[in-house]
Amino acid sequence: MTRDEIKKKILAFLEEEFEIQNPGLDDNLREKHEFDSIDAIVLLEYIEELIDSPLLQEEKKRAMDIRNINQIIDYIEGLIRARS
Amino acid sequence: MERRVVITAESSITPIGHGKKEIMGSLMNGRSGVRTLREDKFLAAYIHSKVFGTVDYEVEYDFPRKFRKTLAPVSFYACQVAKEVMDSSGLDQDFVSSGRMGVAFGSIHGSPSVQRAIYETFFNSSEGAYKSINASDYLKSMVHTTAVNITRMFGITGRVISSCTACTTGSQSIGYGYEAIKYGMQDAMLCGAADEYDTTTVAVFDNLLACSTAFNESPEKTPRPFDVNRDGLVVGEGAAALLLEEYEFAKKRGAAILGEVVGFTCNNNGGDMILPSEKGVEQSIAMGLRDARLNPEDVSFISAHATATKMGDIVEARAINSKYGNRPLVSGLKSYMGHTMSACGAIESVIALYMINEGIVFPTLNLEEVDERCAMINHVREIRDERIDIASVQNFAFGGVNTCLFIKRMA
Repeated sequence: MTRDEIKKKILAFLEEEFEIQNPGLDDNLREKHEFDSIDAIVLLEYIEELIDSPLLQEEKKRAMDIRNINQIIDYIEGLIRARS
Repeated sequence: MERRVVITAESSITPIGHGKKEIMGSLMNGRSGVRTLREDKFLAAYIHSKVFGTVDYEVEYDFPRKFRKTLAPVSFYACQVAKEVMDSSGLDQDFVSSGRMGVAFGSIHGSPSVQRAIYETFFNSSEGAYKSINASDYLKSMVHTTAVNITRMFGITGRVISSCTACTTGSQSIGYGYEAIKYGMQDAMLCGAADEYDTTTVAVFDNLLACSTAFNESPEKTPRPFDVNRDGLVVGEGAAALLLEEYEFAKKRGAAILGEVVGFTCNNNGGDMILPSEKGVEQSIAMGLRDARLNPEDVSFISAHATATKMGDIVEARAINSKYGNRPLVSGLKSYMGHTMSACGAIESVIALYMINEGIVFPTLNLEEVDERCAMINHVREIRDERIDIASVQNFAFGGVNTCLFIKRMA
C-alpha cells in the first residue's frame, strides 16, 4: 500500500466514522476535531483491518502519542514495514 | 439559608406523546399509550404480560457524532428532553458552565440493551469476545450514563447526582435538585430521569406475578389503578426533564415560572424490600408536609403512585386517607402510559405542572368500578376544571423507598 493510498483510506474513514471533513494533514485532531481516546481505539481497530494483522499491545500504546493525520500515516507505514 | 426553588422549563417523551401539546391532547381525549409488547427475540416470547407503555413514534435527534458515540437508547431519550429544556431555558453558557448549575438525572440501571451485549462476553471466553467490548460500551451502559451525557452535551459543570432507586429515581432527582438549590449549593439544576424499552424489567415484575396479563388483547384497558378489575402494572418507557432554579435568580432573568417546589421527602419502610408499607407511606407524607410547611388541607391534588397492583393501590389509598382524609383529588397517571420506571416521578411532575397551569384535573383512566378497599379517597373519575394550589406527587420503589414532592401554583 502506498502512502497516498493509506492517506485516502484514512481520510475516508475519518469522514465516515467520525464526521471529520476536509481535515488538514497536520491538524491536531483532538484540539481541532474533538477526536478523543474512544475514537483512537476505534481507529486502531480499523488499522488492524487495513493491514490485516492484529496489533501488539506495545504498538497500540505507541499510537497514543499520535496527534495528526500525517503521524497516523507514518504509524501505518511503520506497521506494514515491520510485518514485511 | 433556605431559598425558594421554582420550575422554569420542562420536556418529556412519553407513551402518550412528546411535549406538552401531544401529551395534553392524549390526556384530554383519554388516549392510552399502552400497546402490545414488541418482540425482542430474547424474553418477550416467555413473558406472560403482553402489554407495554410504548413510545411508538419517531423521535428526531440531531446530536453530532461526538455525542452519539456514548449514547445508548436511554441517553438519547434523556439528552433529547434535556436539550428541549436547555433550548427553552434562555440560560447563557457562562452560567451553565460556571459550576453553579448541576444535573440530577438517572435511570433504573443505565442501558440494559448495551449491558446485554456486554454480558454475552461472560459466556464466551475468547479474544473475539474480549475485543467486542467496545471502548464506549461502559460509558453507554453505566448507571449514571444519562447524567454525564447531559453534562457533556451542554457543558454543565456543577454537581452531578445520579439516583438509581428504581421507581423513585425521577422524583429523587427533582427532590435532590430542589435541596441543592434550597440550601445554596447550586443556583440551577437540570433534573429528570429516563428509561428505554427493556424486557428484563418486565420479566422481573412478570415473575413476581405483579404484571397485568388479563388485558393482553386490549392493551389500552390496562393498567387500571384502584379499579376492582385491576390485575397489575404495565412496564413502560420514556423520559422527562425539568429545570429548577433559585427563585430570585429566575425572576431576575425574566424566566417563565411554571411552579414552585415547596417540599420533598424520601424515606424507607425499614422492612420488606417489595411489599408496600402503609406505615412507611404515611410517614413519607407526614415528613413531606413538614418539609413543605403545609397542612394536609393545603394540598388540592395528589398524583398517586398507583401502579395498579392489588396490594399497592390499597396501601396507598389507605395511607392517603389516613393523612389527608378524602378531600384532595387523587389520580393515577400511570393509567395512561404504564409505569415508566425511573421516569415516572419526573413525567408525573410534568403532568402535574400542566394541570396546575391549565386548571384541569385529569382522571384515572380505566377506573370503571372503584375497588371498595380503595374507595376512601377522592378519586377523579372525569376531567374536571379545578384550580390546584398545591399538588403532591407520590412515588414508591423496590427496596422500600418512598418519595413525596410538593409543587405549588405560582400566583
